[in-house]
Amino acid sequence: MLKLCAVSVIIGENRKTTIRKAVSMLNRKLDKILPKVQKPGRYVGGELNSVIKNKEDVDVRFAFCFPDTYEIGMSHLGIKILYSLFNRVDYIWCERVFAPWVDMEQAMLENDIPLYALESGDPVRDFDFIGFTLQYELSFTNILNMLRLSGVPLLSRDRTELKNIVIAGGPCVCNPEPLTDFFDLFLLGDGEEVDLEVIELYRKCRAENKTKRDFLLEAAKIEGVYVPSLYDVEYNADGTVNRYIPKEGAPATIRKRVCTDVDNMYFPESFIVPFLDIVHDRAVVEVLRGCIRGCRFCQAGFLYRPFREKSVETVNRQAKSLCETTGYDEISLSSLSTSDYSHLFELLDTLHTWTEDERVSASLPSLRVDNFSTELTDKIASVRKSGLTFAPEAGTQRMRDVINKNVTEDELKRTVTIAFNNSWTKVKLYFMIGLPTETEEDVAGITALGQKVIDWYYEAENRSKGKRVSVTVSAAAFVPKPFTPFQWFGQDTMETLEKKQKLLKSSATSRKLTVNYHGAQTSFLEAVFARGDRKLNAVLLEANRRGLRFDGWADCFDFDAWMQIFADLGIDPAFYANRQRSFDEVLPWDHLDYGIKKSFLIEECKRAYAAQTTPNCREQCSNCGVACFKGGLCVEKRC
Amino acid sequence: MRKDVRVWFSKTGTARYISHLDLNRCMSRAFRKAKLPLWYTEGFNPHVFLTFAAPLSLGFEGHHESMDIRLVEDIPYPELIEKLNAGLPHDIRVWAVTEPEMKGNDVANAEYVLRLETEDPAGACEALKGVLALPEIMVMKHGKKGDKSVDIKPYFAPMQFGTEPGLLKMTVRLPAGNQGGINPTLFIDAAEKHLGQELLVRVERTRLFDKGFREFR
Repeated sequence: MLKLCAVSVIIGENRKTTIRKAVSMLNRKLDKILPKVQKPGRYVGGELNSVIKNKEDVDVRFAFCFPDTYEIGMSHLGIKILYSLFNRVDYIWCERVFAPWVDMEQAMLENDIPLYALESGDPVRDFDFIGFTLQYELSFTNILNMLRLSGVPLLSRDRTELKNIVIAGGPCVCNPEPLTDFFDLFLLGDGEEVDLEVIELYRKCRAENKTKRDFLLEAAKIEGVYVPSLYDVEYNADGTVNRYIPKEGAPATIRKRVCTDVDNMYFPESFIVPFLDIVHDRAVVEVLRGCIRGCRFCQAGFLYRPFREKSVETVNRQAKSLCETTGYDEISLSSLSTSDYSHLFELLDTLHTWTEDERVSASLPSLRVDNFSTELTDKIASVRKSGLTFAPEAGTQRMRDVINKNVTEDELKRTVTIAFNNSWTKVKLYFMIGLPTETEEDVAGITALGQKVIDWYYEAENRSKGKRVSVTVSAAAFVPKPFTPFQWFGQDTMETLEKKQKLLKSSATSRKLTVNYHGAQTSFLEAVFARGDRKLNAVLLEANRRGLRFDGWADCFDFDAWMQIFADLGIDPAFYANRQRSFDEVLPWDHLDYGIKKSFLIEECKRAYAAQTTPNCREQCSNCGVACFKGGLCVEKRC
Repeated sequence: MRKDVRVWFSKTGTARYISHLDLNRCMSRAFRKAKLPLWYTEGFNPHVFLTFAAPLSLGFEGHHESMDIRLVEDIPYPELIEKLNAGLPHDIRVWAVTEPEMKGNDVANAEYVLRLETEDPAGACEALKGVLALPEIMVMKHGKKGDKSVDIKPYFAPMQFGTEPGLLKMTVRLPAGNQGGINPTLFIDAAEKHLGQELLVRVERTRLFDKGFREFR
């Protein structure tokens, strides 16, 4: 058992001096460049509740790297949870590192400033662990860029000592194969479960003068730890995977870790409060993990199973603690689908017993079309009248049945009518195009549905008279992802997607209806890396050599440069993105076990093509396989 | 009861790079966290009533910064200071609370200390004095009505120079506040241009005055 103590935000004068000294060496150079970059507050730390320790007093230094800007990274709940979890342990000091924006990067390179951690100002290359969270495929280049700016060798095999252990967790770890050359190990599943065990092992190995190799071999024995260098891959002549060969006793499959007791799962009592206006600047409490819905396009819906809810008391206590320690006046009740929380109204009523006096408001990150009510909107003060957003995801009932988004047109009508009768006039609807079996009729169905929403506005008897209704339909291009029933699906080519986008745009006739769509090129690249294999390591390395990063940002994304790299390396990106795979193909992530049975995904895929829906986990268990974790809804139903 | 009080604080270290807007938000949160009996604006979106006398430029240290708040209940000042500091990052420290003697708008001048780290303080001093000896120092000044060319020599002519080992220290009083101010970096930028070399200067705002150079209270 680890010895834990309260987060030590230092007050002692002597400790402060040591740290100040370390920072000031860097400061002299930083002082020169910070006044000249955009938003220097991104690069200085010093926020309320950030944790300062004395580096002489800790054994393990952990650089928690978020491969995007400060504003994006600081909005992410995972980093807040793990930062506090690690820093609660006496011998660990976890610090934050974000990707410097291009102006800062340029200035750092010109002035010979290596990437540094915000708390101590110490270079990342001095850290024991360099941990990344893999949230999004288009941030992969930022990972390599951050390693390069740190001066750490990019390739795992070039980092021979037992230090600078480069690790990752997060959703994209479900297929980390395009990154296996760079990382020493990946952590699958809930970080609250596995991360500290790995850190403790490292500390032990170092105390015993073990080598990095000894450490990795031992780490591979921990459930949830994937050490990619312990596997050889054989390919077929057609380029598909033949098999993965575990070496030196590494397990044939690696199963993700799951916290089954979410009420006792670690959750921070306080958050760092940024100075800058970040994307989600509020207290966030996770009310549940997982999702009951089983939408077939949604990777998170499968990766985070089983569905596990916290009790009202736990959520209330955590929300109160966060507001008290941060001064935030808004609590977001976060999860993949908060309106599916069994005790939502009870929770909102409990929160109301103190939030009103404290001028705190509660909000839900997203609302579902099928359980929206006046009762709900009355209880959530911060659903401001500016606009409502719903995600029907597809324009026709047939298409919604294919993706198992069990929302009907009648439900949408009921929902928007309630909204219009309660003085809302703006509705935003999210859709996808490029879904399996999609026809022109399905695409045109998107704008037709948008038009119907406009018509329903004029049918709503208590609508705000004299106001103009505005409906926005926004269509993203579908990216097939691992561990979903669509993991075999060949993504629509960019030409097809662009044709569908044109059709979408031209089918909108009313000025009250706005049509937006998102780039086909980024979705294509996302599809390549989401389902890529180890051959893509070379592509990422070359992309780094050619200076690519921030691919998720329109001002940095250079599609032609990517295509040039694929061409130069003789790798066909369509092999990964557009090729329809067969059910018997060995997929590059088949050795990773998220509890979901492949046979279940095949079954779901077949049902999708037959436009058959599958009931949600609460209605009926579909035997997906995650009951193996013996937690959450899977076991509750058996009681 | 409503009582306006003036809160005095310093903004140093990492907080130098916090913009005025961000500082405002940071203070609002600290007040909320401290659960102080403050007056909230009565608009659609109530928020803590806060006004700052003279916003500090990004990158400057400030030791004599002030903001006004409105209390709806009496609270001992030491308690107010302690509670507020508990909710602030450690590079922003409240060090006094007073009853305002002047209006925030009365701030018209400020004293700045500029520190230049250099191996040759005497040489740097001569060079900068040389810049001040020029017939005029024209700079482009960004104003509300667009850019205009201004001779800043009269503002900087009275600057005091002092040398210490490895350091040149300059002290100057300049117009500041709502009626428009002169930023001390205008002179540094002009000097860099004239001397053709980079000058790494740390700026500290040490005091605030009204138009008659009486200490702002």
